[in-house]
Amino acid sequence: MAMSSSESATALKRTVIIAIFAAVAVVLSIVEAQIPLAGVGLMPGAKLGFANIMILTCIYFLRGRDVLVLVILKTLLTAFLLGTLSSLLFSLFGSLFSFIVMFALVKLGRRKFSVIGISIAGGLAHNTGQLLAASFVFNSTSIFYYLPVLLITGIITGIAVGFAVRYVVDSLSKISLFEEFLNGPGH
Amino acid sequence: MKRADVLLISIVLIAALAFLVPRWLSNDADKGGPGKELKANITVDGKLFKTITLTKEEQTIEVRTERGYNILKVYDYGVEMFDADCPDKVCLGFGFITLPKQTIVCLPHRVLVEIASAAGEDEVDGYVQ
Repeated sequence: MAMSSSESATALKRTVIIAIFAAVAVVLSIVEAQIPLAGVGLMPGAKLGFANIMILTCIYFLRGRDVLVLVILKTLLTAFLLGTLSSLLFSLFGSLFSFIVMFALVKLGRRKFSVIGISIAGGLAHNTGQLLAASFVFNSTSIFYYLPVLLITGIITGIAVGFAVRYVVDSLSKISLFEEFLNGPGH
Repeated sequence: MKRADVLLISIVLIAALAFLVPRWLSNDADKGGPGKELKANITVDGKLFKTITLTKEEQTIEVRTERGYNILKVYDYGVEMFDADCPDKVCLGFGFITLPKQTIVCLPHRVLVEIASAAGEDEVDGYVQ
């Protein structure tokens, strides 16, 4: 099936945007991995979730399947670069769960929730998803001991990520590469 | 921010605090001490590996599996992950734990250390080390 030139141009633009977003998400993951959060009494292994900025921004511009590709790319690349292959399944589970929640909220609850609320929900889903995966592996729910603290930190980082997404979406909307994707869900 | 955002934040905050506040209040009462040492269960891959007693005296427990080793150190009625050859060293960051229900997790090695609650001792008494 041949694509018209405008269709293939759009497909190319999508691919370029996914690639750029994945690269930025990986850089953000690497930067936040250098921040020692365990020192401030948090559960070790907890992350700030800045990569979520790119995922949520992508939800606002592209289709669900494009974001899914971005989520998988970002998780795989981060695991390869940071050498955390053993916990790949856990991050994948958390990221996918977070993506599903944010995507559903953008599609269905956009009038009720602002980008901040959606980003908080995504962060909380990420934390809960990872703990769920861990509790399956260990066949024990004791790991949920850390959930209350993770919920509170999830709210704080979710607010920060939400504000960032608002600025990123506003700025990118002015770039010609993103022009034709503007009639997406909006924000 | 919209009203639903504020609602979401408040509900989650209240839920989290409902768990955290009782924990802060009961901290000292549940701590192990002379005469009432707590027990901790070490599980690997969901199966019980060993139950240890958290004594004042120092003891070293080695958990060696095909995935690698984890060395735990018990002292002052608590336990700490002292060394491990896992790739991410996240388990070392959990620090020294002394309270029931607190856990140390090493994801790469599938090792879980959990302090048993003082009341629930019975369930671990059935195992022979």
